[in-house]
Amino acid sequence: MDLDDSPWGENVKSVQDSEWSKLSSDFVNAGYREGITAGKEGALQEGFDEGFAQTGAPLGRNLGMLRGFSSALASFLASTSAQEHTERDQLLNEARTISSALSDVRFSDIDPPDTQAMEHAKEHMEDAEDVVASEELQEKRDMESLEDLMDRMGATPSAKQANRPTPEDVAQLEQRLHTLAQTLGLTLPSR
Amino acid sequence: MDFDLEELVHVEQTFYDEGYRDGYAHGRIHGLIEGRALGREKGFEMWEELGFYEGFALMWAAILEKQGRRDDRAASNIRHLLDLIAQFPKFNPSAAEPSELDIPKLFRQIRSRYKALCATLGVRPTLRAGGAAGSPDGDEDPAHSPIEDASTDSTTVWKIDNKPRARGNNDLSF
Repeated sequence: MDLDDSPWGENVKSVQDSEWSKLSSDFVNAGYREGITAGKEGALQEGFDEGFAQTGAPLGRNLGMLRGFSSALASFLASTSAQEHTERDQLLNEARTISSALSDVRFSDIDPPDTQAMEHAKEHMEDAEDVVASEELQEKRDMESLEDLMDRMGATPSAKQANRPTPEDVAQLEQRLHTLAQTLGLTLPSR
Repeated sequence: MDFDLEELVHVEQTFYDEGYRDGYAHGRIHGLIEGRALGREKGFEMWEELGFYEGFALMWAAILEKQGRRDDRAASNIRHLLDLIAQFPKFNPSAAEPSELDIPKLFRQIRSRYKALCATLGVRPTLRAGGAAGSPDGDEDPAHSPIEDASTDSTTVWKIDNKPRARGNNDLSF
C-alpha cells in the first residue's frame, strides 16, 4: 500500500502524473479515432476488388454455368418430342431436379470463410458488431433467414428445409449433370 | 504550473500521431474485411447470372452440334452472346485505368441476346432465382434491371457506395 494514495496528502507529483496520463490518452484516442476511419476508407476499395476477382466472380461463374447447363439440358429435353424416348421424361425430370437444386444454392452456402475476418473477430470478441461485415450484407442475411422462415411456414414442408446446401452438394449435382449429359451423348462444355 | 507551450503542442502531436498510426492499421483491417465481403457478394451476383447465360449458350452449342442441326440464327445468337459475356470484366477494373465499358448497358445487351437465343431455339427463357435475378422474361424496361440500383450506375468502375441498396420486392417476387 502506497501512503501517497492518501487523499489528504497534497501530492503534487501524483496529480501531475494523472493530468499527464489523461492528456496523453485523450490525444492518443483522438488520433486513434481519426486513424481508424482513414484506414478503413483507404482499404475498402482494395478489399472490394480482391473479393470480387478472387472469390465472388469465379465462384459465381462456376455455379452460374452449372445452372446454365442444366437449364439448357432441361429445355432441350422438353422440346425434343421427335424421337420418343421412353426415358425422356425421366431424364427431363432429372434435369429439372438438378436445376432447381442448383437454384437453391446461395452464395452464403458456398463462400469460403474470410480467415482474416475470423481471426480479427477473435481478437476482439467484446465488440459484437465486428462479426457483421456491413449493414447491407446483414440486411441480406436477415432477408434470407426470413425466406427460410416463410419456407417453413409454407403449406408444403419440404425436405430441403432442414439443411442449407453445401459445396459438396454442388459437386454432387455437377456429377449428376455429367452423367445426364453423357446419357444424352453429350459432354459438359469445359469451363 | 508553468510549461513551455511549444513543447506541449509538440507532445500533443506525438500522442495524436501515435494513436493515429495504431488506428489506421486497425481501420485498414476492417476496411479490407468489409470491402472484401461486399466485393465477393457483388462479383458472385453478377457472374452467377452471366455464367448462367454462358453455360446455357455453350450447352446448346454442344446440343446443336451433336444433332448436326444447321441453325444459323441460333449459332449466331450463341456467338454474339458469348462474345458479349467475354467483354465483361472478371475483376474490378480499378480507378487506375478507367475503361469506357458501360456495365449496365452490357448487361442489358446480354440479357436481350439471351432472350433472342431462347426465341430462336423455341425455348422459354428461364426465370432465374438468385441475388441478381434479372427477370429475363418479359421485363423489357431497362430501368427496372436490378443491376441499375447496384453500385454500377453510370461509372465504369465499381465503387463502394454506402447508400443502402434499394432492396424492394426483387427478393421476394419468386
